[in-house]
Amino acid sequence: MTPGGVVGKWLSASGPEADVVLSTRVRLARNLADVPFTHRAEPRDHERTIDVVRWALTDTGYMESGRFLDNEQLADPRGQYLIERHLASPDFVASQAKRGLYVGNDEATSLMVNEEDHLRFQVLASGLDFPEAFTAAAALDEKLESQLQYAFSPEFGFLTACPTNLGTGMRASVLVHLPALVITREIEKVLRGALHIGLAVRGLYGEGTETKGNFFQISNQKTVGQTEWEIIETIADISRQVITYERKAREYLMKKLRVEVEDKVFRSLGLLRGARVLSSDEAINLIASLRLGVALGIVNEINLEQVTRLLILVRPANLQVMLGESLTAAERDERRATFVRETLVHA
Amino acid sequence: MKQCDLCGKGNATVKVSRLDKEGKVTEISICTDCARQRGFTEVEKLKANNAEIITELKSRIDEGDSKLVCSNCGLSYAEFKRQGRLNCAECYVSFHDQLVPLIRRIHDAVQHVGRTASGGRKQAQMKMNAQKLREALSGAIQDEDYEKAAALRDQLKRSEETE
Repeated sequence: MTPGGVVGKWLSASGPEADVVLSTRVRLARNLADVPFTHRAEPRDHERTIDVVRWALTDTGYMESGRFLDNEQLADPRGQYLIERHLASPDFVASQAKRGLYVGNDEATSLMVNEEDHLRFQVLASGLDFPEAFTAAAALDEKLESQLQYAFSPEFGFLTACPTNLGTGMRASVLVHLPALVITREIEKVLRGALHIGLAVRGLYGEGTETKGNFFQISNQKTVGQTEWEIIETIADISRQVITYERKAREYLMKKLRVEVEDKVFRSLGLLRGARVLSSDEAINLIASLRLGVALGIVNEINLEQVTRLLILVRPANLQVMLGESLTAAERDERRATFVRETLVHA
Repeated sequence: MKQCDLCGKGNATVKVSRLDKEGKVTEISICTDCARQRGFTEVEKLKANNAEIITELKSRIDEGDSKLVCSNCGLSYAEFKRQGRLNCAECYVSFHDQLVPLIRRIHDAVQHVGRTASGGRKQAQMKMNAQKLREALSGAIQDEDYEKAAALRDQLKRSEETE
């Protein structure tokens, strides 16, 4: 596991369209042909699945550039830490079954064993970058498939525990930051376009989470009847439209409401630099405002990467792992404020 | 209230639609007396019958759903409907006909396109090999070449075990 203060390269804000798009994610769901699906499998099946996947990862060389975590290593706060870093799902961490998690050293690639499906692996990339994310995910898929016998039907595609993931077994998504569209109240109109063509729009941490800090996740819902690239193109097209609208809204704000925007950004920066107690939610909202300021060039002494990294590092579990201590909520809020202050003062 | 279209006396309380041979619909309003005389079943009664029929059909479907089980894991289709998840890859074969409309509803499509698993191809290849072995085996038996038949039988057994 990487040291607490280090974050995955997908948070480097170095990818295309990074002023609006935080990250791109491609996740594939696969099952072994001869093992009952996870929720139905016996403990020995779970163990066997972990063993064969682990072997496959070793045999294909992936283990050389990553780590494999078992149940013990998935316990809190590590489990929560992984959720906050988008490397594992909440259901996976909460599960009582025997599980395994592979995490690549760069935290771009991760693979859950015994989630709802036997294998769920993903690749995260910085900015809007499906070629990067999909190519890497497909490469891992191919390598694994040379070792494993997937459950596959020529008619239904890759067989999954829930028919909603059938076919490609792929969920592709982009995480976008749309503060200007929220301020100008155009957000609903813009996102309706995505919903209209059957895409899903969710908050920062997926299903059922709120859109904290004006971050939105756009992803496909349908997985059958379209090739992976067709699905990806649809999401990329909508994303490019959304990016254009967000940039136009930002331009509009800078032209018509410059003082108000600057006020909001500098107040956020002031609070982040001065506060002695910061809750996670407050920090995220302030950092999100600051991110808009950095993207607009209002704030220059901090770069997009620093502010994007902060978004993850201030989360409760990441903060504790980084500090190497287990803290109460009140202690966390204090230490969070200190950490943010020091980061921004030295920036 | 409107008067009956037939007798012109009673209150028109029943609407009757008639479809003629050209597919044209004409609607008349008649009184309950005329309706009874002409054998139109009362609407209320029809509704009650419909409800009974629907309940009956539903219970028959439910019964069918619990009788329909996966040949590999024993999951019933009724149980799948409750839990929303299948239990094994074979469930997709056992419930194929029931799943097709469901999958179409979710995805607007049923036929997978995109990446395929060569494992799937591998399996197909294995099945084909087994078929060839079986044919060779019956050939050997017919030729009374029992040594060859025994070897083929063992080979077939091994290939079925790895399948």
